[in-house]
Amino acid sequence: MFQFNYVKAKSLSDAQALIAANPDAKLLSGGMTLIPTLKQRLAQPSHLVDIGGLSELRGIEVKDGQLVIGAATRHYEVASSAVVKKALPALASLAYLIGDPQVRNRGTLGGSIANNDPAADYPAAVLALDATIVTNKREIAAGNFFQGMFATALEEGEIVVRVRFNIPPRAAYEKFAHPASGYAMAGVFVADGAAGLRVAVTGAASGVFRWSEAEQALTKKLSPEVLEGLPLDLTNMNEDIHATREYRANLARVMTKRALVKMLAGK
Amino acid sequence: MSQSQPANRREDLRLITGRGRYTADVNLTGQLHAAFLRADRAHAQIVSINAEPALRQPGVVAVFTGADAIDAGYTQFPNLMSFAGRNGAQILKPERPVLATTAVRYVGETIAMVVAESALAAQDAIDAIEIDYRDLSAVVTVTDALAAGAPQLHENVPGNLCFEWETGDARAVEEAFAKAAHITRLKVLTTRVAPSPLEPRGSLVSYDAASESYDIYTPSQGMMMLRKQFAMLTGVPEEKLRVHTNDVGGSFGQRSGVYPEHGALMIAAKKLGRPVKWVGSRADGFMSDAHGRGIEIAGQLALDSAGEFIAARYDFLCDMGAYLTPTGSISHLRNPATLMTGVYKIPALYGAFKVVLTNTVPIAAYRGAGRPDIAYAIERLVDRAADELKIERSELRRRNFIPADAFPYKTPTVGVYEPSDFAGCLEQALTTADWRGFEARRVAAKGRGKLRGIGLSTIIEATGAGVFPKDQVAIEVDAAGKLTVYTVSMSSGQGHETTFTSVVADTLGLPHAMVTLRECDPARELIGNHTGGSRSMAGVGSVCKVAADKLIEQAKPLAAEELELEPSQVDYAGGEFKSRDGEKTISFVQLAQKLAGRDPHPMNTLAEATVGSTWPNGCHIAEVEIDPDTGVTEIASYVAVDDCGTVINHQIVEGQVHGGVTQGAGQMFQEEVIYDRASGQLLTGSFMDYGMPRAGLVRDINVGDHPVPSKLNAIGAKGVGESGCTASLPALANAMTDALRPAGVGHLDMPYTPSKVWHSIQAAKINPSK
Repeated sequence: MFQFNYVKAKSLSDAQALIAANPDAKLLSGGMTLIPTLKQRLAQPSHLVDIGGLSELRGIEVKDGQLVIGAATRHYEVASSAVVKKALPALASLAYLIGDPQVRNRGTLGGSIANNDPAADYPAAVLALDATIVTNKREIAAGNFFQGMFATALEEGEIVVRVRFNIPPRAAYEKFAHPASGYAMAGVFVADGAAGLRVAVTGAASGVFRWSEAEQALTKKLSPEVLEGLPLDLTNMNEDIHATREYRANLARVMTKRALVKMLAGK
Repeated sequence: MSQSQPANRREDLRLITGRGRYTADVNLTGQLHAAFLRADRAHAQIVSINAEPALRQPGVVAVFTGADAIDAGYTQFPNLMSFAGRNGAQILKPERPVLATTAVRYVGETIAMVVAESALAAQDAIDAIEIDYRDLSAVVTVTDALAAGAPQLHENVPGNLCFEWETGDARAVEEAFAKAAHITRLKVLTTRVAPSPLEPRGSLVSYDAASESYDIYTPSQGMMMLRKQFAMLTGVPEEKLRVHTNDVGGSFGQRSGVYPEHGALMIAAKKLGRPVKWVGSRADGFMSDAHGRGIEIAGQLALDSAGEFIAARYDFLCDMGAYLTPTGSISHLRNPATLMTGVYKIPALYGAFKVVLTNTVPIAAYRGAGRPDIAYAIERLVDRAADELKIERSELRRRNFIPADAFPYKTPTVGVYEPSDFAGCLEQALTTADWRGFEARRVAAKGRGKLRGIGLSTIIEATGAGVFPKDQVAIEVDAAGKLTVYTVSMSSGQGHETTFTSVVADTLGLPHAMVTLRECDPARELIGNHTGGSRSMAGVGSVCKVAADKLIEQAKPLAAEELELEPSQVDYAGGEFKSRDGEKTISFVQLAQKLAGRDPHPMNTLAEATVGSTWPNGCHIAEVEIDPDTGVTEIASYVAVDDCGTVINHQIVEGQVHGGVTQGAGQMFQEEVIYDRASGQLLTGSFMDYGMPRAGLVRDINVGDHPVPSKLNAIGAKGVGESGCTASLPALANAMTDALRPAGVGHLDMPYTPSKVWHSIQAAKINPSK
């Protein structure tokens, strides 16, 4: 780890000012990606601006028919929230599947989506639920937010404040965890809501994506067997020492199927 | 001896509440901190190195490079190979300066060491060292290393082949193969793994100029073994080296040897006159802690028409990495050679070994050290033979077991087996696992869309005989009558504080709490071996018994004096010396207290014994269930029946089996060190990519004892430290093969990753294995 200055932001505007004044500063929320990166000396920020404790960035509520979660809300809080369990149980179960207990008690929703790790869990839910990402500057639709591996629509100095999730009548998440890292090798969030049927896949490819062929086929007939033999583009699938792209595509299909079965069973 | 009550581990409360004292917890006044520049490439010449910019960094005191290693003469690592190879050739030992001089040969090799006032300053300065390389091609597999025209690692090791050796009778095997009714062939690979003990490597060294001696704080498996190696590397006499080890967080053989960092820290501590400390990171660990296994074995088993084994031949390719560690080469040859017949009567045996160097982390002994590898080769071959000949797997084994009346059994290679009950272990395991009821479970699983399989292994091990000729144990008695037991072996999770003290306390008929253990006290020099090769209970635990017995005999005349009796009239039982008629008594504690004040205490005892190899054996049965949609395997049940001789503490035996089986399952399903074949880069350099097993991998292990007490030591123990690894590799692989057979999938090399299993099932749909 290189040396850096640690600053605990007093408010969102304070954080904003600190970031603006220090071009080499980085925002620290749960630190679940940033701290390991620092430990490996892969980043050398001048300052860490800690926004993890800001009350403006915390909290869970249902408002105007949407589930609103503050960016600094920890995974454990989402997983165990009575509000989330009632409104959107699939999101609570997704949060419960992130990392391990230590990660769930430190990592935050905002940190996860701002980092946009291609194998993170939250992006699948954000995309499948057509969520809105509220920042200190604007609102961004999920469909425009994720822009491929570790890339988002966030601009310099832009801070995720909260995320508004639509609440579909039914939804489900299924994840195949990587045996070493615990990240999603394929994670599929299926939602059946006002905007139609959504299938969002994380982990398998270079970034979270909607499997449009599956959405179309399932819109015609909401049944797992329509997924058999359905085209799934291998071009962007990840291939590495752990798994081939064919295997990841298979996992995406199997997890879609299982998420669908779970959703239809109302679990 | 009296069997102790199963006691909870005495060390646990201290260790699990964070009160253990590990090497990183030790600090000395005035200490400096070291950091290492490591090779970022697999194979290159060092054209030039400029440490000046690092020296100008704040807090930096000194930078050491290969030139310092040459000046000190720290260039030749010890290697414990004790026999000659083919045509009498000695093993070719490559030079290995503790800091690289002219070339680097694996990613992670130590090149330079910065010493600074803080660890952070040392680490920061590493980046300022300027180094010019001339890149060379790298080889990371034995096959590539042996190929014609392969890049050469060392001038004195032509063709990267540093040793060839053979054992057994080639002609007898050839003749038997010529008349065999059936020959089964299988080539297997035990993958290279990173043992990754919980405690990272680290050391703290101080030098005393007046006495020209060193204090070396380091994790170890026992201080004498390591001290001897420090002396061999540095030329410093052993009596000038004090090795300090407190608690150790796992070792697995990886800590049995001296490392380059030890030597470099000694150079710095002497030159700078201040203690120098280094604590490695997990990243350092993956790229520089010795790896384990990495053996390819081509096996052939010949059977007659009655299904009896008549000969076997094994050809070994042993990957040693870029340099020879002290242990890796000998353990990967001697142990498989000793156990090449397994638990079977096979009249003709032959093994041929090649020891090969590659541009990878050096390999050392790792839990089992060649024993799991040969057991895996044998037991996969036996299962395949059973399949080919349509003989039930347990029946084929039973037919070929070394019979109970054949012990002591001299194998056709180098071992003499002590009495064991292979058939009894097998039967106990078959019953516990409900082997005969399995087919119904396979059918039920099929109904759920799953592939279920069952597999067994019947294995034997030779425990480590040790490097030193004997093991000594000292017992000291204090003024209150409490006892301290001293040994020079070292627990790194084995629970010696519980077992060694219970052996002494039970022998003396005293409460366990009256006895404490102190291992590796540099102030008490004892001769003795390190913890390794499953030997500690048989090798050191038994000497604890000898010492306690000797203490009683030594104290009898003292008690007689107190009781005003002839020594021959004194008996000892239940913590009391008493007259033969039972009229006069004095307790152990009373006697000890009465004699306090004499220095040394007259009841202090030193005992020793020479304890060679013992022969733990057993039968493990694994049941697995595969999800063909994802290729994921669940270990549905696991039964271990071990003959580890006399059981001193069943809970500790269970703990050893749990750990060993889980490490075996880790290797079988997810662990594997992977290097990029073209560049030699390490691709599994963190727990994000290296599939360390988690507790949930093997959820339920049924551990049964089947003791046949050993007559080779005073307590009858055979040992249990490694059987979990040795037996689980073949048991799990045989279960997987059984599960995959109906899907048309044949032998697969470990690890059975979900991706590999799924692809195999897909491929078999098009082209099934026969």
